[in-house]
Amino acid sequence: MMRFVKTATGTLAGLALVSGLALADSNDQWTPDIEAWNSPPPPAPAAVLVRDATVWTGTEDGIRESTDLLVRNGRIDRIGSGLSAPGGEVLEIDGSGLHITPGIIDGHSHAAMLGGVNEMTRISTADVRVRDVIDSESVHIYRQLAGGVTTVNLLHGSANAIGGQNAIIKFRWGEPPEALLFEGAPEGIKFALGENPKQSNWDVDEPRYPQTRHGVEQIIREKFQQAEEYRRALDEMPSGRAGRDRVAPRPDHELAAIAEILRGERDVHAHAYRADEMLALMRLAEQFDFTIKTFQHVLEGYKIAPQMAEHGAGGSTFIDWWGFKYEAIDGIGYNPALMHEAGVLTALHSDNPELARRMNLEAAKAVRYGGVDEHDALKMITAWAADQLGIGDRVGRLKEGLDADFVIWNGHPLSVQSKVEQTWVDGRRYFDRAADERMNENLEAERADLIARALDDNGDGAENGNDNNNEDTDESPGLATHLLGYSRSELDHDHFCILHEH
Amino acid sequence: MTNRDSKMNRVRIQAALFAAFMLAATGPLAAEVVALVGGTVHPVTGPAIEDGVVVMENGRILQVGSDVEIPEDAREVDVDGLHLYPGFIHPATSLGLTEISSVAGTVDLAEIGNINAAVRAEVAVNHDSELFPATIAGGVLSAHMVPGGGLIRGTSAVMNLDGWSWEEMVISTPVAMHLDFPRDSVDNEDSDELAAIEKVLDQARHWHKARRAADENDSRPPVRNDQLEALGPMLDGEVPLMIHANRSDVMEAALDWAEEQELERIILVANADAQYLAERLAAEDIPVILRNVYAMPTRRWEPHDMAFRAPARLHEAGVRFAIADSGGGLDVANSRNLPFHAGSAMAHGLPAEAALKSVTRWPAEILGVDGELGALEPGLRASLFAATGDPLEPMSRIERVWIDGQEYDLSRKRGRELYHRYRERNRSVRQGD
Repeated sequence: MMRFVKTATGTLAGLALVSGLALADSNDQWTPDIEAWNSPPPPAPAAVLVRDATVWTGTEDGIRESTDLLVRNGRIDRIGSGLSAPGGEVLEIDGSGLHITPGIIDGHSHAAMLGGVNEMTRISTADVRVRDVIDSESVHIYRQLAGGVTTVNLLHGSANAIGGQNAIIKFRWGEPPEALLFEGAPEGIKFALGENPKQSNWDVDEPRYPQTRHGVEQIIREKFQQAEEYRRALDEMPSGRAGRDRVAPRPDHELAAIAEILRGERDVHAHAYRADEMLALMRLAEQFDFTIKTFQHVLEGYKIAPQMAEHGAGGSTFIDWWGFKYEAIDGIGYNPALMHEAGVLTALHSDNPELARRMNLEAAKAVRYGGVDEHDALKMITAWAADQLGIGDRVGRLKEGLDADFVIWNGHPLSVQSKVEQTWVDGRRYFDRAADERMNENLEAERADLIARALDDNGDGAENGNDNNNEDTDESPGLATHLLGYSRSELDHDHFCILHEH
Repeated sequence: MTNRDSKMNRVRIQAALFAAFMLAATGPLAAEVVALVGGTVHPVTGPAIEDGVVVMENGRILQVGSDVEIPEDAREVDVDGLHLYPGFIHPATSLGLTEISSVAGTVDLAEIGNINAAVRAEVAVNHDSELFPATIAGGVLSAHMVPGGGLIRGTSAVMNLDGWSWEEMVISTPVAMHLDFPRDSVDNEDSDELAAIEKVLDQARHWHKARRAADENDSRPPVRNDQLEALGPMLDGEVPLMIHANRSDVMEAALDWAEEQELERIILVANADAQYLAERLAAEDIPVILRNVYAMPTRRWEPHDMAFRAPARLHEAGVRFAIADSGGGLDVANSRNLPFHAGSAMAHGLPAEAALKSVTRWPAEILGVDGELGALEPGLRASLFAATGDPLEPMSRIERVWIDGQEYDLSRKRGRELYHRYRERNRSVRQGD
């Protein structure tokens, strides 16, 4: 197969002292590829200086007009007016008329996971780790970079009360799975309450306990008790000679993970819709002396917002998805506004790879519904989303010392008329509209060439590549049959959310 | 049409009398003349009018302009600097036919069997669906409700989203006959599904020929057949055939097939792949109802914004089109987001005026209701809303709505009621701290 191989070498020199009006440096010929394995990492300029932009800091500094942003060695070095360029190579970008925001953080994603989102067998699969199945080749990574997303929380599905362990990743397109992991991010785990763990919406050959909401609450409590016992047995195991005549508890990865929750070493991100079950889980957590880090979806969060604030649980919600199942009928667009007003750490998430590409418009709807301040609305997809994942000291804000993860927009970042021009991660430009166009031209040329060759060989060619089919099969019910060329993992989702349509 | 219209009017008058009798007249009566003043009027078919006036009477728009003589008996309503736009029209949806998608008893989306020509969507529309108030609050005031299931899927209707019964809500029916074009016919000349469709169409042609002959000769007509009878208006070109297809090769095959079948009026209901047929669609003047600007690219290797750019491509080629969402699944409860699809198309090259028309005037034209809806013009239904700014912009808010001249009570939206109740509750909890 013919392919376009790009090299990263030689491009760095081209970055030196560029200060043209155009966003894309004409000397910068870095071009990504639609295949991660063939996509060279973007150059890492020693310094980047964006001048005269409107900077949405995500901090108490607010929205700063005519402001410069200086990046050095992958970190934000300074934000201010009339910054002078440091010595050495500096990539300068004229930001006049442009807006800069922190990179978008999606607290609920399944966009880059191999071989299934749900280990749906047992009621607790706390031993399962999403970090083992990161799909660094998922095309969603590149596409979401094009929408300004830089960090996502890859969550296990919602089929079980206690699901698998999550993985927080950065969108370093072209890097292998282990290099995507967000270094030092807190460990976490998925919980799920309500219709999904109690198997309400699909046929099961053999029903599993529990089938009720109170059953879900009970089984979680029982697991907590078992984990406590397990940990106590481990702790009581004498070390050295004193322990030689004792049989150590059999290693149990499931209970070990749950025990970490009880010790505050593993954050719970609990999928839930209804107020009743969320309240019950918070009370349960309080009995075991830990805090639920976030509720996910949390459609009725506004009904128990004071209790959430008091407990310290964050709310990571859809802005307006509602009504697709019974437990979602009281979902309202005002939920983020009400949770925020009550003092709940509030964020918006996608749970959907297509929606993730336009999270800025989801934030805009927080302004629409309940009149959230525009800067606060942006924080719901940046600063506060980062805080919910415990990575707010690294990303989510434009502040000196933080990772240089930022987005350059061609207008007001919450406006439907605006587009992402560039997306930077760790001080590298992973998405660039001009580079994207170059890539598309390359792909188009490659396709034309391949079709020409195929026509030479066979006298026949596939017009739009339609022969490559993902037909609907019994094994993949619900997969959109008109989508072509995607891997199964790319079309996979949390089947139990009943709201995914590609 | 005339019969139905007069019947419709009768129903509406009865409803109005009933309302007048029952209520201490909180809203305007149908006969009242109302002048909306103090806002910027966006007629869609003309430039924006600052400090414009819209005069409404009997559910219709009487006058629009800046220099309008307001009738003496008119009640003036100051819209206080808001922007008046005609209601958005959803050009193809299953709204009204489904409520909670995971609860089977509330879902009337897909009839069983392949040939359902005689099915009429409007009779299953639950006029008190909880989804309507939420949709209206988003400025989508009418919709084209399309039945699903099978290959030939029956007829659709354009309906108001507010009313005291489905019958009263109908603006036009039948709007179109619907065909899900079989995907396998692209590379299978012996497609069973296509053969089944052709067989039914042939039978219908024969049946109607026999009936005409019987009428002319005063002889015994053919045995009644609901499915074949229902196909008559489409075969005669009185009602268009809407062909649903979601891939460029399927669309091409469908258009070729429609030509072979000598079907006169075709409307394509298609995803972003329609852009690859733009030149043909323009040349053959086949309108498109574009499914879903917010969609993944059809092919993995296509540009990430391929679907976002589809409306601009259709527009540049001169194709007549209207923008829809997917029309099903999660989009049904979120039909209120229709204008944002058009807004995003604007970000990706569609001119602002075209973006607005793609969810107002153009769906009205394509659906054959441009004498009723889609603009602020004298004679059209007074179905409009007042927004804080550009309604294609998610940050804008819609503050007031009128449907057929009656102001709609936005607090009917359960979500707003919940919002107000819990905001009060949460504030009082806070104060109690």
